[in-house]
Amino acid sequence: MAGEISVEQIADDMYSMVAESAGQKKLKATDLTKAMIAKYGDKVTKQDAKDAIKQLIDSGRCIYGYFGGSSIEIPHTEGAANQ
Amino acid sequence: MSDELKTPLLDELEKGAWPSFVTDLKSMAGKSNMVKDLLRQLEKSYRDKRGYWKHGGLVGVMGYGGGVIGRYSALPDEFPGVSHFHTLRINQTSGWFYTSKALNELMDIWDEHGSGLLNMHGSTGDLVFLGTVSDELEPTFRAVTEKGWDLGGSGSDLRTPSCCVGPARCENACFDTMALTYNITHKYQDELHRPMFNYKYKIKMSGCPNDCTAAIARSDMGVIGIWKDDIRVNQAEFANYVDSGFNVQEFVVEKCPTKCISVEGKEIKIDNSNCVKCMHCINTMPKALAVGKDRGVAITLGAKAPIVEGALFGSVMVPFMKMEPPFEEFHDLLGRIWEFWDEYGKNRERIGEFIVRIGLATFIEGIGLDPIPQMVKQPRDNPYIFFEEYYKEEEEK
Amino acid sequence: MSTTTERKTDIGPPHYEQFLHPIIKANYGKWKYHETLKPGVLVHVAESGDKIFTVRAASPRLISTNFLRKMTGLADKYADGYLRFTSRNNIEFLLANKDNIDPLIKDINAAGTLVGGTNNAISNVIHTQGWVHCHSSATDASGLVKVVMDELAEYFTSMKLPHKLRIAVACCLNMCGAVHASDIAVLGVHRTPPHIDHKNLPNQCEIPTTVASCPNNAIRPTSIEGRATVKVDEEKCMYCGNCFGVCPAMPIADPLNDGVSIWVGGKICNARTEPMFTKLVIPYIPNNPPRWPEVTSAVKNIVELYAKNAKPYERMGEWINRIGWPKFFDLTGIEFTKYHLDDFKHAGTTYRRSLQNRY
Repeated sequence: MAGEISVEQIADDMYSMVAESAGQKKLKATDLTKAMIAKYGDKVTKQDAKDAIKQLIDSGRCIYGYFGGSSIEIPHTEGAANQ
Repeated sequence: MSDELKTPLLDELEKGAWPSFVTDLKSMAGKSNMVKDLLRQLEKSYRDKRGYWKHGGLVGVMGYGGGVIGRYSALPDEFPGVSHFHTLRINQTSGWFYTSKALNELMDIWDEHGSGLLNMHGSTGDLVFLGTVSDELEPTFRAVTEKGWDLGGSGSDLRTPSCCVGPARCENACFDTMALTYNITHKYQDELHRPMFNYKYKIKMSGCPNDCTAAIARSDMGVIGIWKDDIRVNQAEFANYVDSGFNVQEFVVEKCPTKCISVEGKEIKIDNSNCVKCMHCINTMPKALAVGKDRGVAITLGAKAPIVEGALFGSVMVPFMKMEPPFEEFHDLLGRIWEFWDEYGKNRERIGEFIVRIGLATFIEGIGLDPIPQMVKQPRDNPYIFFEEYYKEEEEK
Repeated sequence: MSTTTERKTDIGPPHYEQFLHPIIKANYGKWKYHETLKPGVLVHVAESGDKIFTVRAASPRLISTNFLRKMTGLADKYADGYLRFTSRNNIEFLLANKDNIDPLIKDINAAGTLVGGTNNAISNVIHTQGWVHCHSSATDASGLVKVVMDELAEYFTSMKLPHKLRIAVACCLNMCGAVHASDIAVLGVHRTPPHIDHKNLPNQCEIPTTVASCPNNAIRPTSIEGRATVKVDEEKCMYCGNCFGVCPAMPIADPLNDGVSIWVGGKICNARTEPMFTKLVIPYIPNNPPRWPEVTSAVKNIVELYAKNAKPYERMGEWINRIGWPKFFDLTGIEFTKYHLDDFKHAGTTYRRSLQNRY
């Protein structure tokens, strides 16, 4: 059932995914959402996933990136940036 | 480096009748080091025949994944003023209507926080603030929201919806383009600011098939005004066109794509059952002819520029839908489209490419529409039909 | 700077109603017809009999607050402070008083721009960022627009063409300004894949991300002298510059080979004929800044032939369809080459599958 897994728990799981794939594959919002639904089945709704992503972004743990498609990333200095 | 601005190549673009962006930018160079170094770098581009920009993908305002485009000079030591030169997309008003007061307020903000250069407007529709540094993004955002404005879209999100003047200043408007644009822009703020799609999704609203926003060529979803009943005719005004010497036969009757117009004396007759609403006769004789009264929209899906799978025009998904506030039928359709595309589309796959990949039949089934002949130019001309229903031997009785 | 107020998000754009001229607000949805009084000047007449006058001016799109303040100043002086922009980046002043039209036009001209772009004219040129702001551009956009329109300004300020003519400039195949349905399109082209800086790539770029950035799977990981880097399948590269976006060590710019191509015959509106894509007429002209004389003379040649030969109410593409492409190449003197033959998907649909040629 929806609501069984807390948004905080989903956000933590998502954060681990993003951290693990950093530098290897840029993950999109849909990748994270689909992974959570695959993991928890109907205990997680798309809205829960959306809320978790919002929490990750608003807290500053993750940021959005855009390189020909939007991704969710760990904050870091980008290659193109002039310091 | 000398402080003097020497741009002999760009100076050549100060000549001629068309308004010169170089003259304009030079007028800012005294005020803004960013503009001065922008001109210097551009002069170098003109000399070397290449651009000197790097793409930045991580800058933005807190909480949003859209609305800011990162840009860095590839030659920051030579042109420190444009070391950072990021863009903010400010969500324009419906129909691009402004007051000078509102624009002046936005310009005050931009002169304080950025280069003072703008695009009026970007290709999708936003009012574009062109060129600032990373540290000024958040203060600029704060200042524009204080004045009641917000950022538009960028990345894999709902891009800023835009529309023609519609009923504000056009007799051909078949629905309220301005109201629908305002409605969906506000309803879908989350989709606009937090990229959650496979790729970009542009929506454009045009009030009639003249399509002044190029919805059929430039938007993933085109909402284009249309009517179902008869063209309204003012015979007295039509007679005036004939009397004025306007060649109705050559310029109107013969140009009608379905040959549904005839003229007897000074009277025009239209076979409305055969009219395809191309707008030509109405465009040429606006005093005599007008769009009908039973109005709504046609909805097209899938237009895009060439990369990757080739350019596409939008194609008709819904030939007619009533479009009146609160627009619930439209929201519902849009929700089903996004849901299906989200589930089965690939990364970086525009909706038009998605439809072509999975096939129109699968797509419309997925979003709950029935196949109708209005969706195609013609039925298939190849025999490769994948039948889903057929008899099995034991059932054959 | 305000730091005490609460940070606002997701407020969306302001409501349009506050920006509408009182005459527009009063006659919203109740317009009867419109007429063009002269180039760049429209009158819209409402069912109530009210009239609103529109004066349309060219804008380079890339503008400064200096220029826009001049325009808002003119709006205050003549248009009760009301102005708007068109989908082709023209500026429109909305006037209640007909007597303000001519003084406004005089002031617009004094401010350095032109009035026109209505009906059978070349309207403002839509375009992209070019060397002014883009990382993947093959040419400049603002400069090309300037030099092309310097040649054709008389077609903006008059209405002497057979029908409307829409020109667009895009600085690479990404086509941020979708030029694929314009009467004439000037399109920047790269002709070579990105140049890989194998020395710096391992330090500047994430290899899996770079591989994944290619929309056409043309980039593969490899190693050179024991160092991990990437290689590009040149047959598959379509010069989009996306890899350069994620990897600064793969610049797409190539001054020797970048340039522009010219396309004609597209249209968007449904009037008479269906919307059409542009078709290739000149595959490559080298970049020749600051004034690209080869491009301006090619575009001018096409416009003048269209002006001379098309019938009233024929768009560029409709004219060409009537006379046939062989005749178009004949008239323009443009060389027909192997590059004009489509070899992408559905290329077969462009072959002549009839004997209906003109001899």
